[in-house]
Amino acid sequence: MNDNLNKILNQYSNQISLLTSKAELENIRVELLGRKGIINELFQNIKNIAPEERKNYGSELNQLKTELENLISQKSATVTSTQQISVSDQKSIISLPKIGHLHPITQTEEQLNNLFRSLGFSIYDGPVIVTDEYNFERLNVPANHPARDMQDSLYIDEPQYLLRTQTSTIESYLLEASKDKLPIRTAFPGTTYRNEKVNRSNHFIFHQYQAVVVDKNITMKDLIGTMDLMFKTLYGPDVVVRYRAKYYPEVEPGVGPDMQCFKCHGQGCPLCKHAGWIEMGGSGMIHPKVLANAGIDPKEWRGFAFGMGLDRWTMAQNNIHDIRTLLGGNLAYKPSAK
Amino acid sequence: MKLIYSHLKKFLPSLDIAPQNLRDDLTMIGHFANYYEKLPDNDFIIDLDIKANRGDGLSYYGLARDLSVYYNIPLVSPIDPDFNIPASDYQLPISVTSPDVRRVMALKISDTQVQTSPQWLVDFCNLHNIHSVNNIVDLTNYVMFMYGIPNHAFDAGITSDSLIWENNQGKNSEFTTLDGTALKLSSQNLVISNPTEVLSTDLVGGKKSGINNNTNQIILEVAVYNRVRIRKDSKELKTVTEASTRLEKDLDSNLIPTAMNYLASLIISSSGGHISSQLYDYYPQVESESEIEFDLNMPALYSGIDIPTDFSLQVLKQLGCSIENINNTTVQATPPSIRKDISLPEDLVEEVVRFFGYNKIPSTQALSPKTLPDITPGILYLNLFIKKELAQLGYDEIRSWPLIKQESLIPNLIPQDSEPVYTQNSINSDYPVLRTSIISSLKSQQDQYQRFKVPQVQFFEIGKVFNQSQGQYHENYSLGIYDSNQSQLSSNLEKLSDRLKINGGNIQSYNDQTGFYVEINLDELVKSVDLAYIKDQPKSNDHENSGHSVELTSQIITLDANIILDQQQDPRELIKEYSQKIGENLWQLIISDIYHDPKSDKYRYTFRASYYNIDDKTAKDIHLTVFNLK
Repeated sequence: MNDNLNKILNQYSNQISLLTSKAELENIRVELLGRKGIINELFQNIKNIAPEERKNYGSELNQLKTELENLISQKSATVTSTQQISVSDQKSIISLPKIGHLHPITQTEEQLNNLFRSLGFSIYDGPVIVTDEYNFERLNVPANHPARDMQDSLYIDEPQYLLRTQTSTIESYLLEASKDKLPIRTAFPGTTYRNEKVNRSNHFIFHQYQAVVVDKNITMKDLIGTMDLMFKTLYGPDVVVRYRAKYYPEVEPGVGPDMQCFKCHGQGCPLCKHAGWIEMGGSGMIHPKVLANAGIDPKEWRGFAFGMGLDRWTMAQNNIHDIRTLLGGNLAYKPSAK
Repeated sequence: MKLIYSHLKKFLPSLDIAPQNLRDDLTMIGHFANYYEKLPDNDFIIDLDIKANRGDGLSYYGLARDLSVYYNIPLVSPIDPDFNIPASDYQLPISVTSPDVRRVMALKISDTQVQTSPQWLVDFCNLHNIHSVNNIVDLTNYVMFMYGIPNHAFDAGITSDSLIWENNQGKNSEFTTLDGTALKLSSQNLVISNPTEVLSTDLVGGKKSGINNNTNQIILEVAVYNRVRIRKDSKELKTVTEASTRLEKDLDSNLIPTAMNYLASLIISSSGGHISSQLYDYYPQVESESEIEFDLNMPALYSGIDIPTDFSLQVLKQLGCSIENINNTTVQATPPSIRKDISLPEDLVEEVVRFFGYNKIPSTQALSPKTLPDITPGILYLNLFIKKELAQLGYDEIRSWPLIKQESLIPNLIPQDSEPVYTQNSINSDYPVLRTSIISSLKSQQDQYQRFKVPQVQFFEIGKVFNQSQGQYHENYSLGIYDSNQSQLSSNLEKLSDRLKINGGNIQSYNDQTGFYVEINLDELVKSVDLAYIKDQPKSNDHENSGHSVELTSQIITLDANIILDQQQDPRELIKEYSQKIGENLWQLIISDIYHDPKSDKYRYTFRASYYNIDDKTAKDIHLTVFNLK
């Protein structure tokens, strides 16, 4: 085969071997074998070849065409999910086939959802725009209760409508909807909103995760054991968590889980504010008033609820130092291969 | 709340414990201790977070009561047992007109000598972040910390004895506090005044009537107010003090006589003088105490561990509950008035369990799996299904602020006959409105990616969008997708529809100079999908795509390089090889061209490498080294 035809064969056999999609293969086929393609053009130019060379050249050209057809045909059968992307000059470029990514918070939520599904929990959801009744009153936080100071609310129609300040608000809706369908086991991730300035370490949107169980004869032992399983799922089997008395108006008794500081191992350091422990969230046995507010008889049913924030954990897992990164901003994903 | 060991021991003289143990024990019984600090003479101080429902915990006395139960050691009074307030013919001409006063006691002491506080008192004030003023003022603060009941000393030579507790009637609007801060009073603020002027608010004393070196007669007052009034006044006057922090909790009016006794005895002991009035006591409605029928088995039933009924009964008694037996295992318990947080059997359960020890409840026995009806809303299954499908198609998930800038609203994407929803009190006032379309958020994200020069982005978000109409607020889940390549986006939407087994749907579209956006109302879509099929899909998490999120701190830098090879090589293997060489700052490596030179029979591979979170110079250095271009 003459040099020119050889060059075409080499160049295109290379390109064809690197193609990653059927669409791109089709483009190459048209470019080579289409009506206005290179091979047809070469056949049309055969009249410019010296007469004594035409026969041989024609034969080689047919050979080239056949080889290219074979290459395209073979490639057509093997093109899989490898990916081709285009650049502005329409040249083909090769990258490792890409998959997208779930957001780090979604990954953490799903990790927990999977755990709780395995224990027979449903995943639940609730509105973001809520009433004062469901966000506070039903959770044993009446107007002017000091606990309201723990949460600076973001109102859309004060005092009645606000953005939920906690995932416990979803619990209010859940308990009401489930009062005739007990027992229940539920877990729910959710965004919550506080009226706080946004900066590197504070945000007005928080990601929380909560679990709520109502059944007969539920105990603090069930609560602590289940919560501990959650922490071990997230932080690994060696995590040290202690459970202590803590106050939340919607539970009684209240339970506060603290994780031993992973940096100083309980000795005290700036990370744990020298306490040796890091507060992990809140929990407890559902307050009898909260059950009663939902129409559930607290003499017949007991329950537990626990919740924790996901932001700090997810940031640590993903080496994120600025909380603003979690929601838009400068969070991006390194392209990764399938 | 700060707690100095040596002063705690005034209530618990037999207490003998290392600082770390006291810190941990206080934490375990519900008073989270942040840290402790050693002080001279084997003393130490602990910093505590006190629970919002434990007003008594904002005092040495309240904490000592808990520790007395926990360590089973006696609680004693630090007040001189020989001290008594003597009888007097003189009645203070005090009047109380405000309904917000639950109880007030007042007493006049004459011939006092104001002087610098003794060093122990100066140290105490300093350690509690209070500026030492003089012996009388410092002792009022000392008693507030010791018993948790705020109190005040007036210079009776300035104020006269005719004190009035009233809600400001508007006769005074200006007030200057002890530290010189000017407050603007409103009509309902609770104040202490005399017939001519306001002397003090319920939160902080006034400059004019404060104790100074010339003071030789004082009126002491110890009071508890309606905590709702205190909260309102504190917010309205933007004033938070040690007194207001305590008064806005449910304090024990019955503790006022004790606090007054202690205060009077300390002041007379420190400044001399003598009591020159009857003890004034305004207590219009004696507060009732809860009576709780309590099954002593409840702590065991609630905790799930064996807690003997004898232990439960012992704790109730040590807490100071009055007990009447109903039967062998049931009692009627009346908690001490200082424990305003105890009103239900469950409150007593917590008391018993926390003194028994939360750490005795095993943490190894999670709920066993149980099959219950699945009440997961279908929309959650759909959301997860779509997220995973789009990730498989190469799209990255983003999450963004539902609150957006006014100018980010896209008028064409506000649903017909509806309006956006605005926040009323956001301190992030640049973002006042809830998004009506998720495309607003995607556009902001794309702006960010452009600023950071992120190459070839494809991303999506599933989140709530909001609007209001006819007096109702509405919210629904919405899917938004961005792609710079329209045909690719269309093709992927078809693939998604195929996977969802639906024929298209109601899709909103939008485009700008960078690319193409689509939005789908998922609450509508969920009505047309086969949920049984969606639910049946695997729910395990795809952890193979975790660990790739990056917090960008600077623009991505993209550089090209050619390498010449003797033989043709699998470009994917080359990408892997050079990716490893570049290391952690590589964002993406692609091969943009491959050329075979027939003359030399060599192959030229053109790489395009993108670097992140490093500066230009460092990126170039790495690039030149890795591709051997130096």
